[in-house]
Parts: sequence; C-alpha cells; structure tokens
Amino acid sequence: MGNEQNVVEVMGIDAGGTMTDTFFVRADGEFVVGKAQSNPSNEAQAVIESSIDALKLWDRDIDQVYPELVTSVYSGTAMLNRVVQRKGMRVGLIVNRGMEDFHRMGRGIQCYLGYSLEDRLHLNTHRYDEPLVPAERTVGVTERVDSQGDVVIPMREAEAFEAAEKLLAQDVEAIAICFLHSHKNGKHERRVVEICREVLAKHGKNVPVFASVDYYPTRKESHRSNTTILEAYAAEPSRKTLHGLSETMRQQGGKFDLRVMASHGGTISWKAKELARTLVSGPIGGVIGSKFLGEALGYDNIACSDIGGTSFDIALITKGEFAIQKDPNMARLLVSLPLVAMDSVGAGAGSFVRIDPYSQSIKLGPDSAGYRVGVCWEEGGIDTVSVSDCHVVLGYLNPDNFLGGAIKLSVERARAAIKKQIADPLGISVEKAAGGVIEILDQSLRGHLRSMINAKGYNPIDFVCFSYGGAGPVHTYGYTQGLGFKDVIIPAWAAGFSAFGCATAEFEYRYDKSVDIAVPPSASDAVKQASCVTLQEAWGELAEKVIEEFRINGFAPEDVLLKPGFTMQYLGQLNDLEIDSPLSAVASVADWERIVETFDETYARVYARAARSPELGFGVTGAIMRGIVATKKPRVPEEEDCGPTPPAHASIGERPFYQQGRWKTAKLYHMEALKAGNVINGPAVIESPATTLVVPDGWSTRLDTHRLFHLREL
Amino acid sequence: MSTVLKMVPDKRREKGLCRSGLTLRDNRNEVLARTEGSGCYNGLTNMPLKEADPIFFEKLASRIRAVLVDARETAKKIAASPIVEQEGELCFTLYNAAGDAVLTSTGIMIHVGTMGAAIKYMIENEWERNPTINPGDMFTNNDCAIGNVHPCDVATIVPIFWNNNLVGWVGGVTHVIDLGAVSPGSMSNGQFSRFGDGLQITCRKTGVNDEPLRDWLHESQRNVRATNYWILDERTRIAGCHMIRDRMEEVIAEVGIEVFESFGYEIIEDGRRGLQNRIKSMLIPGKYRQVSFIDVPYKHEAMSTPAQYAKVDSIMHSPSTIEIRADGSWKLDFEGASRWGWHTYNSSQVAFTSGIWVFMTQHLVPNERVNDGAYYGTEFHLPYGTWMNPDDRRTGHAYAWHFLVGSWTSLWRGLGRCYFGRGYLEEVNAGNSSTANWLQGGGINQDGDFHAVNSFEPAASGAGARAWADGLDHAAAIWNPEGDMGDMEIWELAEPLVYLGRAIKTNSGGAGKYRGGCGFETLRMIWKAKDWAMTFMGDGYVVCNWGMMGGYPSSAGYRFAAHNTGLKDRIANGESLPLGHDWDPDSPQWEFSLGKSAEVIRDKQTMATEQPFEDYDLYLNLIRGGPGFGDPIERSCRDLEADLNGHYVLPRFAAAVYGAVAKQDAKGAWQIDDAATAARREAMKRERIARSMPVRDWIKQEAKRVAAKDGSDQVQHMYASSFMASKKFLEDFRAFWSLPKEWILRLGEDGVTGFGQQSIPLDSLPDVRRVVLVDESVVAPEDY
Repeated sequence: MGNEQNVVEVMGIDAGGTMTDTFFVRADGEFVVGKAQSNPSNEAQAVIESSIDALKLWDRDIDQVYPELVTSVYSGTAMLNRVVQRKGMRVGLIVNRGMEDFHRMGRGIQCYLGYSLEDRLHLNTHRYDEPLVPAERTVGVTERVDSQGDVVIPMREAEAFEAAEKLLAQDVEAIAICFLHSHKNGKHERRVVEICREVLAKHGKNVPVFASVDYYPTRKESHRSNTTILEAYAAEPSRKTLHGLSETMRQQGGKFDLRVMASHGGTISWKAKELARTLVSGPIGGVIGSKFLGEALGYDNIACSDIGGTSFDIALITKGEFAIQKDPNMARLLVSLPLVAMDSVGAGAGSFVRIDPYSQSIKLGPDSAGYRVGVCWEEGGIDTVSVSDCHVVLGYLNPDNFLGGAIKLSVERARAAIKKQIADPLGISVEKAAGGVIEILDQSLRGHLRSMINAKGYNPIDFVCFSYGGAGPVHTYGYTQGLGFKDVIIPAWAAGFSAFGCATAEFEYRYDKSVDIAVPPSASDAVKQASCVTLQEAWGELAEKVIEEFRINGFAPEDVLLKPGFTMQYLGQLNDLEIDSPLSAVASVADWERIVETFDETYARVYARAARSPELGFGVTGAIMRGIVATKKPRVPEEEDCGPTPPAHASIGERPFYQQGRWKTAKLYHMEALKAGNVINGPAVIESPATTLVVPDGWSTRLDTHRLFHLREL
Repeated sequence: MSTVLKMVPDKRREKGLCRSGLTLRDNRNEVLARTEGSGCYNGLTNMPLKEADPIFFEKLASRIRAVLVDARETAKKIAASPIVEQEGELCFTLYNAAGDAVLTSTGIMIHVGTMGAAIKYMIENEWERNPTINPGDMFTNNDCAIGNVHPCDVATIVPIFWNNNLVGWVGGVTHVIDLGAVSPGSMSNGQFSRFGDGLQITCRKTGVNDEPLRDWLHESQRNVRATNYWILDERTRIAGCHMIRDRMEEVIAEVGIEVFESFGYEIIEDGRRGLQNRIKSMLIPGKYRQVSFIDVPYKHEAMSTPAQYAKVDSIMHSPSTIEIRADGSWKLDFEGASRWGWHTYNSSQVAFTSGIWVFMTQHLVPNERVNDGAYYGTEFHLPYGTWMNPDDRRTGHAYAWHFLVGSWTSLWRGLGRCYFGRGYLEEVNAGNSSTANWLQGGGINQDGDFHAVNSFEPAASGAGARAWADGLDHAAAIWNPEGDMGDMEIWELAEPLVYLGRAIKTNSGGAGKYRGGCGFETLRMIWKAKDWAMTFMGDGYVVCNWGMMGGYPSSAGYRFAAHNTGLKDRIANGESLPLGHDWDPDSPQWEFSLGKSAEVIRDKQTMATEQPFEDYDLYLNLIRGGPGFGDPIERSCRDLEADLNGHYVLPRFAAAVYGAVAKQDAKGAWQIDDAATAARREAMKRERIARSMPVRDWIKQEAKRVAAKDGSDQVQHMYASSFMASKKFLEDFRAFWSLPKEWILRLGEDGVTGFGQQSIPLDSLPDVRRVVLVDESVVAPEDY
C-alpha cells in the first residue's frame, strides 16, 4: 500500500480521554488512521504509539514520516478533563471588594447547564459545581468603574499590595484579576498586575498574572472572569504538555510547528497567549472539514450534521463562513470564548428508549448507552433498549460487523428487549416499535436541522447537507427526507471526518473587543463619522494583537490576511448579530451607511422583516479581527470514474431490512470496495468497519470521484 | 354527547368561524358539555389518533413543541429588556379553537392559562362578530380582570386560519419592564386598585394583515415609561407568534386539517390522563391541610397611597386542603381564604389555577408537555370574593405574586408529606422562598433618558431544603426553576445603580438538618441619575415559608436605604466604605462607613412606595432564602463548619439554633468541637422538654384569648375577612377553639377596618360575560 513517492504532509491528532487517534494525509490525498491508549501523564508517548499504528498501514515509520510533515494539528480533551475534574492550578483571584462572592456564587444558570429540558424544570436535581477558585483564595480590592468606563471609586493601591501578599502567602500558582467593567477601562486591572509583579519580585517568586482586560475584554463579568481564570487554571498546564509534545516531535525529526485546534474554528500555536480557547475543539472538526470541502468543491451553504452515540451536532456554513457564538458555555461554565456555533441535541445512536409510564409515550434519552451499545451486546451489560438495538432488529446494522466485527451483536436479545419494553406496552409489533423509534428520532433531528436553518433566515433548498460521524450515515436519509436540500453528501471517511477536519483548519487568530458605539436615528454625520473612527481604532488594536501572535510564530505582518467584523444591534437591544464587515476599513459617513445596510439586511433575514427596528438607531457592540496565514492542507481525494456498476467483489450478500411497515431485502456492499462513479439503488446497506450507510427503498446513492456519496430520494 | 349536538342545529346556519360551521362560542360550549358529560376532555373516552398510531402521535407532538421552543429562542433575541433576554420571561403557547392550551414552549408556565383565559374571553364575548377575527389579525391583552397575573405580562394573540376557518390560536407573552402605572417598574407599588395598576388592554385588536395598527402604537407607546423596551418586547411577541403560525400552517398542509384538529383535543386529554397517572404513582390518597400567611403592610408612612381607607395592615390567609383520591383525581380547595383587599396583591382565578403549574412542574410533573389537560385533571375550589378570585372589578393585581408565592409555599409542604410517605425522598422540598426584594424605580438614567428599572435578581432566590440535602443557594424562583441572577455588568447597563456589593446573604436560609438555600444581597449606589425614585417590595413582618419536619423558616426580609451618605467625600478621602455584606443586621456595620449626617433607613417595612434617591445614596436589594428541613440540632458538625467558614450561618445562630460549640483557629477558620456540641444538643433537648406543655393545654390557654378577640389588628382583620366568605371556615374555627355558636368577628366592627364590603362584579358591566373556570361557590355565614 505504501508509495515512497508520496510524501506524508499532514498529521491530525485527536487525544481523547481513552484513545489517542492520529490521522496522516499523503500528498495524493490518501490517509490512514491510527489508535493508541491515551496516556495523560505522557501525551507525547501516546501520540508516538498512535502514529506508529497508523503509519504501519503504509509500511512506514515515524523517523521517515515526521521529517516530511509540513503541518500538524492537535485537538484533545486534557484541558477539558482538568476543568471537569477540578484538577487545575492553584489560582488566586482578585476582584472588587464587596464582590468576593460572585465567582463562587456562579451564575444561577450554571446549576442546570447541560441538563435536559425536563431536568431543567426539576429543581431538586439542580447542582452547582465547585468554584474554580475557592473563597479563601479570593481577595477584594476597593475600586469601581461604571458601565461607561468612568471611575466611580479610584483603586486603593494599598489594598492591592495586601491582596497580592495574601495570595502569595497561600502559595498560589497563578493570579487572575477581574474588576467590573474592566473591558471599558482596564487601567485599574493593569495597575494591579504591576503591583502583583512588584510583590512577586520582592519575594523572588515567578507566578503568572492574568488580567481579564488583557485576555477577554468583553462585557459580562461571569464570562470574562471564568475565561481568565481558565487561562490560569487549565490552559497553562496544557501549554507545558503541548510544549513537551512539540519537543518530542522535533526530536523525531519534525520541522513543523505544532498547532492546536481552537474553539473559534481556526488553529493557533501552542505558544498563543489565549490558550484557553483550545478547551473545546473536538466536535467542531467536522464543521471545519465541511467548510474545507465546500471551498474545494464550490458549495457555499452547507448544513453540517454529525451523529455520534450520545448527541446530534449541527452547524451551518453560510456564504462560506460558519457562525460564532460569543458567550457560550463549556464544562458547565459561562465563558467568553468565541465558539463555532453548534446546536447540540442530546439524542444519538446510543440513546436509551423508554416508555413514559404516565403518558404511555416513547421517550428517547437524554441518557445513552454510550460505548456499551445496547441490549444487543450482552457483554455491555445494558438492559434498557437503545436506538442501536432498533437498528440491529431492523437490519440496518450488521450484527457481525459492528466496529469491523470487533464485537458481536445479538439480534435476538435486542428483539426480546424491544418486545418487552416498547412493543408490548404500546400493543404493536416489534418491527413497528423499532421502526417508530427510528422515525421519532429522525423526525426530531430533522426538526432541529430545519429550525437551525430557518433561524438563520434561510431555507434548506439553499443548502447542501453533509452527514458524518460514526452513526450519521445510518440516519442520513431519515433526517434529510423531505427537507429539500440541494444535495446530501456523506464522505466515505465519515467516521474520521472530525480528525480530517482539524487537519484542514486555517492557522487563524481571532480577537474580540467590546465597544459601545451608539448612533441614534437623529444622529448627525459627525456622529456617524466618529463611530467609524471608534470602530477603526478597535480594529487597529485587535489587528496588532493578531499580528503579534503570528510574529511569535515567525510570520511577517504582510503574511497575515486580516478579516474585520463587528457585532451590531438596534439601539438598546441586548443581543447582537455578528457581521463580516463588507469593508476592510471604515472612515466616512458612506462607510457607516454601508455597515448599517449590511446589518439591516441580515437582521430581516434572521428574524423577520417586522422585527427590524431602524427607528431606534444602531449600536455597534463589538469589534472582531481575524487573521489568517496560508498553511498546508490535505487534498481532497481524486479518483477515476469507473462507471455506475459496482465491482463484483464489493457485493457481500443480502439481509432482511424493515422499512415503511414491511420487510424487504437489502443488498449489502463493502464500502471500501466501491469505486468512483458506482451507483447503488436502495434498499441497500453499505458497510465499513466504522460506519454504515443506509440506502432505503426509493433512494439511490452515487460515489463521486472525491469518495463522497451523494444520497437522493428517487 | 349527541344531545348536545342536537341543541345547536340552528346556529350552524349562522356559519361561525369553526370548520363545523359553529361559532367559536358554540364550539367551546360543546367541548365543555362533552367534557362534563364524560369526565374526559372533549368527551374523549378513547383517543382514536393516539391509539391508532402512537408513533405518529408522538412525532406530531414533538414536532409542534420543537416549533414553540424554537420560536421562543429565536424571538428572545429581539428583545432589549434583560427581563426577557437574560431572565427568559417569555413564553409561547399553541391553543385549539376552543382556547385550550395544546402545547407550550419553555418559559413561564403560568401563561399557558392566562393567555387561554383571554382567548376564552374573546370567544365568550363574541369577538367573532365584533371586532371580528380575521387571518392576519393580532390581539393584545393584559387585563387582570379576565385572568392575567399582573398587568406587566402582556400577551399578543394571533389566530390560526385554514381555508377561512379558525383552527387554533398562538399566544406569546413577555414580562414588560414598565406599564405606565402610578409608579415606575413592572410591578408598581402604592396603588390599591386597578385604577393605578397601569395600562390595561382587554383583548384589543391591535393589528391587521400582520401589521400593528398605528393608533395602537401611538397610544400604547406614550402610556408607558420605558418605550424602547416596550417596542422591542412587542416585536419579540409578534415575531414568535408569526413564526409559530406559519409553521403550523405547514403542519396542517402536511397532516391534514382533520388530524391537526383532532390532535389539538387529544393531546389535552393525554395531558389530563398523564397527571392522573402521576398522582396515582407519587401521592397517597387522603386530605392534606396546610396554611400560609404573608403580610399586607399598607399602614406605614413609607406606603404613600392616595386613599386613607387603604392604609390598613393586614395578613393574607391561605388555608388549603389537597384532597387526593384513589382514582388519581384531586381537588385543591382554598375555602377560608381571606377576602380581596385594597392593595395590589389580589389574583385572578386563572392566575392562580394556571400559575400553580409553574411549581407542580418542578416535582409532580417535571414534564415539558404540560397543557390544559392538567387544568382539566384538577378540581379547584376558589370561593368568589376571596383574594384569589375577587368578585370586584376594581381590584389591584400589580404584585399578585406576593400572595401567590406566599400561598403556594404551603403546598410544597403538603405534597412533600406525600412524597415522604411514599418514600420519594428525592422529591421532597421544604418550600419556596418569598421571591423578593423587587428593586424598581425610574427617572432620568445615566444616558439622560427617561427610564424605568426592574431588577430580576430574585429569580435566583435560595431554594427550599430537600429531605436529603441542603436547598440550593441563590438558584431559583417558584415561578421559574431555571433561575439566574444575571451579570452585574448587564444590570448596570440597564440601571443607574453601581454595585458596591454582591454577596451571599448569611443566615438567610432556614435552619435545619438540611438548611434552606441562602439568598444574596446586592448593595447599590445611585450613580449618574437624575430625578430618580425607587420602591421596595417584598415580605418583612411575616415569613410565609415555614420549613418542614422541624426545619426553620428562612429569615424575614428587611429594608436598608441611606440618603445624604457623604460617600462622595469618603471616596475622595480614601475612607472606609460600605461594601459587600451587611453581615448581621442586628449589629449594623455599614453605618460606621457613612458620613455623620447620613439618614439611614433600616426597618421591617419592606413595602415602600417611591422615595427620591440622589447620587451616592444607597439601596440594599436583599434576595431571600429558602426554608429548612429537619431539626437543626441533627445537622452534621462538618456541614455546620462549612456553613460558618463559607459565611452561610452567623456564629451566634450556629450556637443558639444548631447547638454548635465552635471556635476560630489562628487563621480565622471555624472548628467545631464535636463532643461539646453533642453535649450541648442533649442539653437543648432537655430545655425544650422543660418549656413544653401538652398541646391540649396550650389550645385551652389560647382559646381564652381568641374568645376575647385578644389579637393584633392585622390578625383580626385577616380572620374577619375570611369569615365573611365562608360559613364553613367560621364553623370550623369555632369548633376548633371551642367558641360559642354566636361568636363572630366582622369587618367593620370595633377596631377592624371594613371599608368596601360591597363588591362590584365585572359582569355588572353591560355586555360582559365572565369566563368562570373554577368552582367558585360561596356559602357565607347567615349571621355575618
């Protein structure tokens, strides 16, 4: 399989809690995936082992391949686990005196974040997690700045010295500072940084100091402080790990700079100042991969859908860009990190299925069988029916080829459980019950997908739908049926698509800053012009930060492509819309009008024409600057078209298959054996070790020359 | 069923809006008759749609609900008011043609019924003929006389048509920040009747062809203070309603109108049965009696009100009986409740019956599929003339929640006893906190705009203790389990009040083996405001949430404000400032950090009308805690240590109430001496026995006082008003206290204020048909 002429260019690393996956891409677009047990105490070791596992498929070893690599992207859960398990650094926190409790109080919403709808109503189930910084390491300093940035109470420096001494006496490993409205006026915070450094120097200590204004200068103190604390609490230890990994790779001959997948959808260097934004990156890989494929193949609007065992994640790419959520939550904490906007539904292939004893209706989830699959896998020890059990009973999944045959599933066990738990209580047949479960799940997914598109002011007809994730292609027909997508595409490497996506990500920094530009309806031209100046100044400030980050990695300012953006609202609203600026710089009244026009159009599309409120005037609430430098990316596979008829060896038999209330016979195919150009008409099931593509009766799929399946209803 | 149908053939020829040709009113009457006759909603002893295809039924339900939730999430972002956007005080509901709720979004569940009541009012009063109901129409309602909770909950209602027949309704409600009442804020203070409660709109047609009417816009926008919020709130409601209506039209096109209509009735019967099954499996048949009280403190000079007759101190009385039957049916009976009064705490019957689900869904039916089935599965007895069902059209409702919150906390205890008895310990909750204080006010804000404010920090009050764990601190409100206090930086955008503190309120949670959740306190300094005035609202003299199984009530509220504080100079001079905790209000500390001529208000009068505040003045927003569970002397020493070190309990209370023997180490950390504490607790038990007496003896002793009417004015007024509307309660009272048959206490007798004993019902107005949704029967004492 190896081809010495084909150099390996790209490496993706997905370091999960249990397994570390590596993903290598050759110059011809071929790729391999390797796996190894994760090793939290030595991540580099796991990466090496996983690389060896992958590269042996090409008969190559790391000593040869690492020097060939031009880029490597890491995404991992170590930082997230550190937060979830509260095993971060010993951080001291300096806040306004009188507000020492605010961090440990948390926001009320944090006691039910991540809950299902029913549990959100069910008060007795709510709980707060431990604060990242306990009360005894939180110290107050008297000062106040108001919402307009004016000083109400000057900072009392003596208290700041005392605070620093007090924290040092408690052997803190980092100090975070967050005063109210510091995003509007950061002088007090910055002065406290100086004071802390003075005190540190006096004691001969070296402890990092983080001021929220230097990290996340955006409004909402819980978001801003949590994020700044995370930078100290969780990101710094990761920086050490990544540095170690980078060094190990160098020792193996690697000449590339390790980059890390970040929540905003770009990759950043492990040296980046704001490393906390790499806290969550896993699920967004697929979105980045979809964007990359879209660019390569000319799709502007893409609905990305990813089904795993526990959740259904959807995201939209519109006009070639994904949306960013500014105040998301991660690990049950409100944060102010930009995150690729995704809608996650707690329903997946492993979701449990139960009959609600009170209403006699079918309920899916919110909990799931996870890696234990369902009743059909005896060793899993599960006795509640899962969605996978339904798939097995209906002939969608091959009981002998689950995870490539690594585990054997029992159709009979699944049947018996569905009969007892679902079919008999409802007075219907096992097939009808199992089929019903799938229909309910599909419909719920379809509803979410459609809602997300509608909420953006679009119609599915404008979109191509990408479906990936291990369980995605089993459901693709079900959740896309009737929505009217332009095309429905399943990459043949659906199970590894997220890792692929990470490897395609841009080397990109993004910085945000809150601004308060208010232009009332009666505003003069002078006000509009001044507003342009304010926005332009903010862009300038952010551009400097972006360029500085690239400079650390050896790029010159002229290598950086800058993309400005802004968030805007009708004056007085609390929410805003993020807009990619139609202009690269603003100065004149005409520029202002252009900005307003872009916002107004977007608003009408997202909400409703009737919801537009230009008579209130316009406000710009945030400035955004993204900077990108060119990097090496995987290529989209390219194969020769071999015509519609699949090769004989791709056919692997037949299986009964239940659809629309009756049993049919599905033809079975081996996915890897199919050739570009092959057309498969349903009912058919196309199997590969990690994924299964279901083509029901009345549907057809064609594998194109890029190894993408196009699924359509005939 | 067939007899009902025979009664109406003539009316079919009138060609009403319903698909059957019936008028909306005849259609609703038929639904009610079929319900009455069968015991099942709309006569649905079977559910053909669900029985034929339970999967399809489920799919349709989840699809429609997803539309509602989705519309709420999308529309929410249009709003400007933090109440809507941050606190999520909005809700969208789908109704069938009869005005019964089919499915609802998340949000404030109380409005499921209140918007339904408005629709039913339009149906009963034949809006169909005049002002007519057409596709593209919009109606606006916030009238408390026909079911709204308080005027600030403004609803937009849009009919859904199919082939020119009305096939359903969609309603959206937001809690607006100001209603143009006598004082600023959403729940104004100081008035004593409807005529000061603010703008009230009675199901008015405010839009045609999907566009609001200009006369409505001009009129409404000038009648409220915070106009920008008002405008965006209305757009939020309209956008949500239209999204839902359009998506329902798609659903109808897909499944067919017959199926859509049948579904709209069946799912309500489904909800009724679901409740019945829940009751059967979670509760124990029997009668559960409980009572609660809350203060009506209008006499104090801080309550400036234009009528002398409203200057009365009284107490709300809310005795209740939960009757649970073996078949899963139940009745909630409030016989004996006090009468409506000259204040703003009255509640309409619908606010009461609908609002009850906001807390039932927190334990009994934690289910997103609550609809009017729950209403049809519950019998309510709310006697006409009581505070929860006034028989007078003048009543004020702006702060109805004061009584509702106070009344319902006792229902947690009643149901808690059931859960405890059946072993569902995890469901037991000792009750809700009284969700206050309400910081409200208005004037010229920091941007120079005329403005009103209404902080929603009480959405994160302390929760009641559970039978296995402490109540959550600063976490929830009875009217919204998804509580949140919001970010200070957002409130400071909306309010010209800078925070000088936000801190956990020590000792605010009720003591107990498991303590009630603590509330919190925020100290605000007026800043960059002009002509600014603020009010206080909440409980102060009477604690409504008593605790359970030996647990203590939460602490009562109090008022703190300071004027002429000298803080400007103290800030400039670097002197000490009042910041953070008001640690122990019995030993105030903030006063030492104010100028010599500061005027400080510190009292229990937690209802106060608009007082002017100037820059550098102070206002304490005290958010209450929840009640406790179990005897405090059973609390573990380690938990108590954590309470002391985390400032959840004051040291002197740890000693006096919990029997803790504790000392501080060199670093100030508290440590409890377990052995000494155990000994102290044993001694406390002996002290308790020493001061106890048999209940029978205590009743005898108290009965003499009762017979002699030896009680405070407030208590006398409360009972006199309860006796007026209930012969049964009076007789029970006499029997309990062994009083002579002729013993009575009347409003208007010596020392008991009695102004306004004559009621003026709503339907005394021409052309008004009242919609009655409960058993409101009254048997008054003949000798009153």
